[in-house]
Amino acid sequence: MEKELDRVTDEIMLTPNVTGCIFADHQGLCLAAKGNAHVDSAGLIVAISEQACKIQPNLKPPTINLEADKKQCLIQRHGTITGMEAAIFVNND
Amino acid sequence: MVDDLRKYLNHLLEKVNGLHCILITDRDGVPLVRAATDKAPQAALTPNFISTFGMATDQASKLGLGRNKTIISMYSSYQVIQMNKLPLVITFIGSDNCNTGHILSLENQIEPFLKDLATVVAEAP
Repeated sequence: MEKELDRVTDEIMLTPNVTGCIFADHQGLCLAAKGNAHVDSAGLIVAISEQACKIQPNLKPPTINLEADKKQCLIQRHGTITGMEAAIFVNND
Repeated sequence: MVDDLRKYLNHLLEKVNGLHCILITDRDGVPLVRAATDKAPQAALTPNFISTFGMATDQASKLGLGRNKTIISMYSSYQVIQMNKLPLVITFIGSDNCNTGHILSLENQIEPFLKDLATVVAEAP
């Protein structure tokens, strides 16, 4: 059932500089995680995305970029009600 | 100690959208620390509701999958997440659409506070 999601996760991990990738459902439960993305961060990622969506609720969900010195974390929501959250961790180099 | 913990739990309640109550009890459902908003259902705060978890986690531990750690119960308008930290039990009660993953991640944050409390409960006659 999750073969397709695993395939997408593997594909993302092959992208240069990507160090981790995590998918979560709208309840903050982890669907898939690879690399240095921790399963426990699924809930926090969904919570961050929920807060960001409140800034402009009438527009489609924003892509969030958390930027640190050496790493970036990109969070994107797909779908609104039974949506899925994707977070990708990237090295800055 | 308990006051500090209660303050911290109240702080966590504000952080998670839709979380109504955090309850730390012993395995019989006797409340030790409680942080709740007025939306928390009274029926879920009674010892007979919470002590049922003690039995459920014991039975779940016999399924051959190792020791049961967490039970998540989804109801039509609430969700109840109970964690086995014997001799303590942590109960989170939230709305049905509350972020379950976020609540589960609170476990790591609460854990350091439980050590002293667990010692007191374990030593109680």
